[in-house]
Amino acid sequence: MFSNLFQQLKTQETTKKKLEVLFYDRTFRKLLIQLVFSILMIVFLFYLIARAFSLELGFSHLGSRAGFGISHAFLIDYSSNDSRWQAYFVGIINTIRVSFIGILLATTLGVLMGLARLSKNFLISKISAGYVEFIRNTPLLIQIIFWQLVLLQLPQISDALTFGGISVWSNRGILLPFINSVENGSLWFLILLISLIVTLFVRSYLNKFREENVNFFSPNLISLGFFLLITIISYFILGIDLYSDIPSLEVNEYGTYIQSGGFLLSPEFAAILFALVLYTGTFITEIVRGSIQSLPKGQTEAAQALGLSSYQRITLIILPQALRSIIPPLTNQYLNLTKNSSLSVAIAYPDVFMVSRTIMNNAGHALPMLFLILITFLGLSLFISMFMNFLNRRVTRIGA
Amino acid sequence: MFYLRNKLVAMLVLLMAIFIFAACSSEEESSTSSASESTLTTILERGELVCGVNDNLTGFGVVNSSGQFEGFDIDFCKAVAAAILGDSSKVEYVPLTASARFEALAANEIDMLIRNTTWTASRDRDLGNDFTVPTFYDGQGMMVKASSGYDSIESMSGTTVCVLQGTTTELNLDDRFSTAGIPYTPLTFETNDPLQAAYEEGRCDGWTTDKSGLASKRAGFANPSDHVVLAETLSKEPLGPLTRDNDSEFYDVVQWVVFGMMQAEESGINSSNVASMAGSPTDPGMARLLGVGFDGGEPPDFSFGIPADFMQNVISQVGNYGEVYDRHLVPLGLTREGSLNAQWTEGGLIYAPPFR
Repeated sequence: MFSNLFQQLKTQETTKKKLEVLFYDRTFRKLLIQLVFSILMIVFLFYLIARAFSLELGFSHLGSRAGFGISHAFLIDYSSNDSRWQAYFVGIINTIRVSFIGILLATTLGVLMGLARLSKNFLISKISAGYVEFIRNTPLLIQIIFWQLVLLQLPQISDALTFGGISVWSNRGILLPFINSVENGSLWFLILLISLIVTLFVRSYLNKFREENVNFFSPNLISLGFFLLITIISYFILGIDLYSDIPSLEVNEYGTYIQSGGFLLSPEFAAILFALVLYTGTFITEIVRGSIQSLPKGQTEAAQALGLSSYQRITLIILPQALRSIIPPLTNQYLNLTKNSSLSVAIAYPDVFMVSRTIMNNAGHALPMLFLILITFLGLSLFISMFMNFLNRRVTRIGA
Repeated sequence: MFYLRNKLVAMLVLLMAIFIFAACSSEEESSTSSASESTLTTILERGELVCGVNDNLTGFGVVNSSGQFEGFDIDFCKAVAAAILGDSSKVEYVPLTASARFEALAANEIDMLIRNTTWTASRDRDLGNDFTVPTFYDGQGMMVKASSGYDSIESMSGTTVCVLQGTTTELNLDDRFSTAGIPYTPLTFETNDPLQAAYEEGRCDGWTTDKSGLASKRAGFANPSDHVVLAETLSKEPLGPLTRDNDSEFYDVVQWVVFGMMQAEESGINSSNVASMAGSPTDPGMARLLGVGFDGGEPPDFSFGIPADFMQNVISQVGNYGEVYDRHLVPLGLTREGSLNAQWTEGGLIYAPPFR
């Protein structure tokens, strides 16, 4: 590598000349700079590690009693006597809850608005354009606080709207009628979700089968039957006793209004959800619009020539093709939504970041806690990426 | 192109070197700071007291419309300056956040800290500072709307309570409700503004923080009488000035200036009569406090490295404890009668050891 350089060095006599040769040799100079840089980098890293070890690392403080309450606990029970780990998990579930529902709603909104943007109807197209331009160009944090303040304008709980006793609306939250089981809470919901996923797989298999056997009975009807069958069977096997959970509003002996039952949409959850959905929805709108516009015009014209209705044209021709270029940027938006959910710290929605900050304030150990939060968000993001990559592979393979 | 890249690399190396240099040098700085000379000597040489304060708590420490610091805590800074330097205006105020206050004191940025800081065992033990006598006995309270009819914590079963995140108040709140088995929902806010909005709109039934803070916020409402602070105290929050550890000379000065102001009130000495009292003290105790001789006798020879008549400057320029309290805290609605901040002779905790 340096044989040429050595040759040159040998021909020079004075040290000064030799140094000059070294200095003007491009390869050597670059190597030297990189070496110095690497050494400094390593020294700096060691310094950081040494500093880190002088701090108290470890997560033993998470085992002790939490000692603080959390306003939103979902799926798992929590009281202040539980450990800080339990509090942390309540935070994680709150983050997942708002991210999951947010992703579903933002996708729906984005696809609809994206299609609306391309509509020939002037009003529909301009509404979509206005929505995108207005929401996308304002800061998310301000939108979150805005929604919180808007929801606080609902009537106070003493003047709550009850809609004939089936729902309670106040600025303590919106209580919707819900179905619950006496013993297992929301377990039936999980069963329903699993049945739905299994059914979707069965349906896609049936669809493939039908491609080869044209006279095969409608896969949609078979799937529906299958779905009903497994839900009913699991309902009887598990013996879940469902009842309609109608919200109620009572006044206790001290004059406090107590709301109970039903499905609670708290103002904090609703505010962060609305803000995330509307904000992320604008980006998804633009992704959908761009992807559809990038399709050759001939696709639409061919569909029209075949006499397909506009609904068929969109669902059978346009969207399946557009999906290929939608999914990769869509993944980014899903990740953004999940990460942006940590802004809920501004409005009292106890997501994982907020709970962690409380723990940090009570017990110190900021460095390991921040590391844990980063790992948690990394895990969530990687899971979303993994799922979307799987979806992407499927979409591209079907197209091929 | 290659030239540019080399330049970039060189810049990165330089940046790295600066980082390392900065990291090392800041460490040296903090290690030398602890071995400094007495704070009292420093203040005398500098001719100015540097006081760490709050600049955003009405009544305790706030910057007024003309840009001057004023408040209950601020007046104690002035008193210490008057005692040491003979001039209560020779103070430099350093506004500090709650999280930066202890570091600022430990790092010699300020001479003393008086920023509504609660005296706790762990703070006294771990943070390298010493708490002097509390100037204000605070406690965590609960504010509710007057129309709600709540009169005690027990009556707040099933309520939602707004609280600031990561404070000891959040933990005290849970201790009080959970141990008594009272169901409640905490709504935890990061900052005061959204919390106040939520409370005013009725999102939560109660707002809990230090009683002094509640009084300060209540005074700011459009109609303060619509809100009541419940009598019950959820926790003890003694607030007072802090000095650095192992700085006993200055610690004594701060402590005895505060005691002196309490004693002056007890003895009936205030800013308007201090001059005549010093001229003809009515009893030996008063003479010792003001550093003058009694009945033609010699002045007392005890001092804290400052002139023996330091309390004359303090009282004439700032006033006694009661005057300072009346000036700043009574307007907030924090009455003294029956509270912990009344003189011990009236059932409170304001008690100065004898000046002798």
